[in-house]
Amino acid sequence: MSEKEFEPIIVGFLCNWCSYAGADLAGVSRIQYPPNIRVIRVMCSGRVDPIFILEAFKNGADGVLVAGCHLPADCHYLAGNFKALRRVLLLKRVLKEFGIEPERLWIEWISASEGDKFAKVVSEMVKEIKKLGPNPLKRSGGK
Amino acid sequence: MGSKVGAVLVVGGGVAGIQAALDLADSGFRVYLLDESPSIGGTMAQLDKTFPTNDCAMCILAPKLVAAGRHPNIHLITHAEVEGVEGEPGNFRVKIRRRARYVNPEKCTGCGVCARECPVEAIDEYDEGLSKRSAIYVKYVQAVPRTYVIDRERCIGCGTCKELCRAGAITYEDKDDITELSVGAIILAPGFEEFNPVVKSEYGYKRYPNVVTSIEFERILSASGPYGGIVLRPSDGRIPRKIAFIQCVGSRDSQIGNEYCSAACCMYAIKEAIIAKEHVPTKLECTIFYMDIRAYGKDFEKYYKRAMEEYGIRFVRARVASINEDPSTRNLILRYIVDEKPCEEEFDMVVLSIGMRPPKNAKKLADAVGIKLNEYGFCLTNPLSPIETSRPGVFVCGAFAGPKDIPESVAQASGAAAKAMGIVASERGKLVTSKVYPQERDVLGEEPRIGVFICHCGINIGGYVNVPEVTEYAKTLPNVVYAEHNLYTCSEDTQKRIKEKIIEYKLNRVVVASCTPRTHEPLFRETVREAGLNEYLFEMANIRDQCSWVHMHEPKAATEKAKDLIRSAVAKARMLRPLKKPMVNVIPVALVIGGGVSGMTAAVELARQGFEVHLVEREKELGGNLRRIYYLLEGEDPQEYLKNLINEVNKCSNIHVYLGAEVVEVSGFVGNFKSKILHGGEIKEIEHGVIIVATGATEYKPKEYLYGVDPRIITQRELEEMVYKGLFNAKTVAMIQCVGARNEENPNCSRICCSEAIKNALKIKEISPETEVYILYKDIRSYGFKEKYYHEALKKGVVFINYEDSRKPLVVKDGDRLRLVFWEPVLKQEIEIYPDLVVLSAAVVPNPDNRKVAEMLKVPLTKDGFFLEAHMKLRPVDFQTDGIFLCGLAHGPKSIDESISQACAAASRAATILSKSVLELEGIVASVDEDLCGGCRICEAVCPFGAIEMVEKEGKISAHVIEALCKGCGTCGSACPTKAIKPQHFTTEQILSQVKAILAG
Amino acid sequence: MEGNPKIICFTCSWAFPEWEIEAPPNTGVIQVKCIGRLDPIVILESFAKRVDGIIVIGCSPPDCHFIEGNLYAERTINLLKKVITLAGLEPERLHLELVSPIENKSFLNLVERFVERIKSLGPLFKGKEVDEEILFNIQAAKQAVTWSRLRILSGRERKLTEKANAYGEKISQEEIDRLIEEVMGEEYIRSKIYLLTKEKPMSVEEISKRIGVDSPLVLQHIVALRRRGLLAMDRIEGYTPLYRALEVD
Repeated sequence: MSEKEFEPIIVGFLCNWCSYAGADLAGVSRIQYPPNIRVIRVMCSGRVDPIFILEAFKNGADGVLVAGCHLPADCHYLAGNFKALRRVLLLKRVLKEFGIEPERLWIEWISASEGDKFAKVVSEMVKEIKKLGPNPLKRSGGK
Repeated sequence: MGSKVGAVLVVGGGVAGIQAALDLADSGFRVYLLDESPSIGGTMAQLDKTFPTNDCAMCILAPKLVAAGRHPNIHLITHAEVEGVEGEPGNFRVKIRRRARYVNPEKCTGCGVCARECPVEAIDEYDEGLSKRSAIYVKYVQAVPRTYVIDRERCIGCGTCKELCRAGAITYEDKDDITELSVGAIILAPGFEEFNPVVKSEYGYKRYPNVVTSIEFERILSASGPYGGIVLRPSDGRIPRKIAFIQCVGSRDSQIGNEYCSAACCMYAIKEAIIAKEHVPTKLECTIFYMDIRAYGKDFEKYYKRAMEEYGIRFVRARVASINEDPSTRNLILRYIVDEKPCEEEFDMVVLSIGMRPPKNAKKLADAVGIKLNEYGFCLTNPLSPIETSRPGVFVCGAFAGPKDIPESVAQASGAAAKAMGIVASERGKLVTSKVYPQERDVLGEEPRIGVFICHCGINIGGYVNVPEVTEYAKTLPNVVYAEHNLYTCSEDTQKRIKEKIIEYKLNRVVVASCTPRTHEPLFRETVREAGLNEYLFEMANIRDQCSWVHMHEPKAATEKAKDLIRSAVAKARMLRPLKKPMVNVIPVALVIGGGVSGMTAAVELARQGFEVHLVEREKELGGNLRRIYYLLEGEDPQEYLKNLINEVNKCSNIHVYLGAEVVEVSGFVGNFKSKILHGGEIKEIEHGVIIVATGATEYKPKEYLYGVDPRIITQRELEEMVYKGLFNAKTVAMIQCVGARNEENPNCSRICCSEAIKNALKIKEISPETEVYILYKDIRSYGFKEKYYHEALKKGVVFINYEDSRKPLVVKDGDRLRLVFWEPVLKQEIEIYPDLVVLSAAVVPNPDNRKVAEMLKVPLTKDGFFLEAHMKLRPVDFQTDGIFLCGLAHGPKSIDESISQACAAASRAATILSKSVLELEGIVASVDEDLCGGCRICEAVCPFGAIEMVEKEGKISAHVIEALCKGCGTCGSACPTKAIKPQHFTTEQILSQVKAILAG
Repeated sequence: MEGNPKIICFTCSWAFPEWEIEAPPNTGVIQVKCIGRLDPIVILESFAKRVDGIIVIGCSPPDCHFIEGNLYAERTINLLKKVITLAGLEPERLHLELVSPIENKSFLNLVERFVERIKSLGPLFKGKEVDEEILFNIQAAKQAVTWSRLRILSGRERKLTEKANAYGEKISQEEIDRLIEEVMGEEYIRSKIYLLTKEKPMSVEEISKRIGVDSPLVLQHIVALRRRGLLAMDRIEGYTPLYRALEVD
């Protein structure tokens, strides 16, 4: 292993209407945050299938962020965010069985005007995941 | 008679103007949307959240901004004003002055490099002066058009922006120019101006830094505002512990000439107090000083209660006399009187809830357009024609017609659109250009051939990401047969290049790596479509907003990230499949349920546009509630109006009226409904494209105050009838407000009862001046211009007595007489009077039929039983289900003018569908693989739009997607246990391929 | 030592022949190709090396080898005089002398006269605490001219006042002076805020006390710095947010 500091890779699933727009606003406002996140756009956080998250961890992601519209009423599709929350909470329990710390999976509510919040969430997540170290599946060569 | 013009001018690009423009443009008319400022968006764009849902204002407004900006039938004319109007309805000629912008909108990409290097700063009006912007600027980051403008007042002409602009968009030689437009109708929606509280010197605004206005506070609350969304005191940047909100600053104040109520301030103050508490990590006390809390709108009272009970916001009924600053702490000492006792209290911040004034240039606009203003300087209208100005063919909506909140502005805007459509209906479709695309190439069966176009965005991407290196990398990705980089991929000449390359390299997928798909995807989809590809064979990688701009100091990492993002986009592109936009035929017929004033108005407005209407009324005659309204507060004759309206309905050959009839069954979806009407014992089947629900409401039958026990205890409506029939002869009348409203059982306010009580009190004073009238109230909610009549009633000697829930008045029978006992809060004692009549202001309660209708249409109701619209703020007359609309009392309590506005709005919204022979729906919908589907019904349960039905085919039950109802959210896809249902364009395979690709670096 | 101030002299290599350049004690001479290219930051950095005065010698107007370098130098020196005044230095500590090669002036004389003047002003760095304050101010002045606003304005000053601006209008000297002064004032305060919060996160009031600027104004400048991406909120202590400068290369 190299001496370089561990730089986690985080996969972010962002809903089109709120969180993706929030991430865009961070950009327009030039709010700087660590380059560790890779965003995949979905129409609604309710679209995020647990398989996407598991597949991300299996492929070596050190963290996964699911971000959607604020609870309770901001969801463009009425209640997709609630469904996302339920799925993520359930999945966190399952992750343990796979040997993945549930702290690697985050769910956050970020609105279209919260560019700063998006940047903050990413920064904090990078910090926390650095503490956890690389994805254990990767360490055990399970990639 | 001159020929008509199928175009409409909308003056004012706030939320009302945008709504009117969208409705008109969607109905086949050309729209010129003009705004004084360089970008549309209006006041709503400055707001942080909106009541009563606390939605983020920008989140809900931005999609409308983008829709207006990109609509092929909407021509934005920003930074411009109207100089004169000639002609008549159907054919106006409008002189427009476009002010010099000094930036060529055709070339400006909105990248913002100019503003970052501009050496001159100016006050940022968008942030209400709490921050600064540069002399070349765009109003706000999400602005439409996102074209920069030079503030000539501040610009010194140093030339820096021109040197930096790689797009060559700066044009210092720009001049004002005058153009003339031909339009058939005009809609005025210039909004309002905030009251400047400097006039109220006792509040110390501008002298004390910690006294701010409500709109400044809105910016302070906003995450995109000056303080990043944390509430700070402007004096020292500390988080306040105690904030006071002062209501009615510049409203309900005859001293300064603004006698009217500004209608929205109570609610926005409550909202700001709630949001402030949410935005502050520390403990915060909020106090609202008010005269009456006017939470009269739908679900507003609940919001008010939550503010008190859940958020602990303190409400003090007192007028603040003065504010003084403690110079050592910059805290503010408020003096006010409660219960006759002078109080002094210290706060560390004060928010002035400033009222609405007519727009700054109202007079100039009125002169140019040739319309009259009312006594306060707002547009003159009439309660029975709330959308018409004094000049035929010129309509008004939004706050210019009188202070109002967003949903009412939006509804009125749609209403104004309907009125305009009524004039130019014969010219529908004549001035819109429909584009012809080349035959779509069939690419199924072809190996993916992907072309990647990578944008430098001037230096916005190229300055931080090594674009040539990324381009070389893109060439190595699987199935990529071509890659190039462009200075601006979105520029006109690059579109041409992309089309050429698609043909030259036989590309069947295109990836653009540039900015965000939220703004630019439609442009590129259009480009690939013009080159003969299905528009869904396109994917974007966001390497600017989510890469170069946020990693400006890490060019290496940013370059690597850009590669990852492009790899992911290419992986998805490989799996993209052409999608067909479902087409739905539209039957140009409307079904209107309810024949009251709302239903009839909606029917007439649609019939005027040439659509056929079935109007179904349960009772034996038309008119609904209006049949029992004999007077209006403002003086017009409602019965005369009703007679004319019924005449008009009966005269219209394309309105079919069914009296004593009922809709018993509805099936189908937008454009294609089939319904059964039970009429005269027979079932009639009709086919129609839309439904308008106008089922009205009824007056509450009080259980309180001995109603029904003694004939001298009556409701307001009964009193009105009594007066009308000349049977009134009481010497003392006591009215009790909020009977059956604002209580445990029915927490909401019925909105119109205060004005009704004032109306009847004034009528009594008119016919019998010596009669004593008492009105016992909780809050007098004579919002907007109705406040004038509250003042008049006070002047005429009507006695208003406030009561609290803890001390409700008591009505008892005392021998022959009625005794009314109440607590007099000023004298602080119990008073007894012996009225001849006790009049109960009974609540407006939902039509008991609503539940049945709701079930039949599969649309929701509120908790109290009114119909629930798609969105409380921006879709006030739509249902979540396409093709079904709502208006009048069925939506919630409202006055006649509001019902008329809403009915016109429902007609306008309906016309956006009826005007099309075929509806083209979004192609991103779910589809079912019947072989995989186990028929478990989970998808049916999770779909929020009822877009999934179970269909039996050869003995097997499987899910089927009603494409006209699907919104493409994809929630079903992640719930399906067998992965039989696929949210197209975001399929599991596509997303998984992205996941794998993104982690393969 | 007491009597000999520390002086730096920048001289244009065209103004005097090599052999005439002879410096008095405690004076460092740096030859440059043309004083028109003298970077203001270099001057301010020189002050930060605890010199008492800086003299810049160039060629008088018609004689500039690079045609108009000296005219630019004049503007730069004027700007710098204003900047160092803001920083609490006497403007006389920076002096521009334009000479014509035909005048046959003595280099040594010129410099000595400047040394005399600086002597009468007394030393710039007098004691520990005062010195630190002056050094901080000079750093702030340097930061202010590093950012683009002032540079762009002073770089275009001549064109705007002597020729025409982008709209074909001439801008009066008074107007441009007023604007430059305004911008300089703002950028100088912002620089101070930026430098202070680079050391440790600080609140509006701490900054206000430290630099003697009213706190409402400090907050306004913090808003501007945040907009430029130079500052961020670090944390909130009690009811007080603390700000920290962002590292920008």
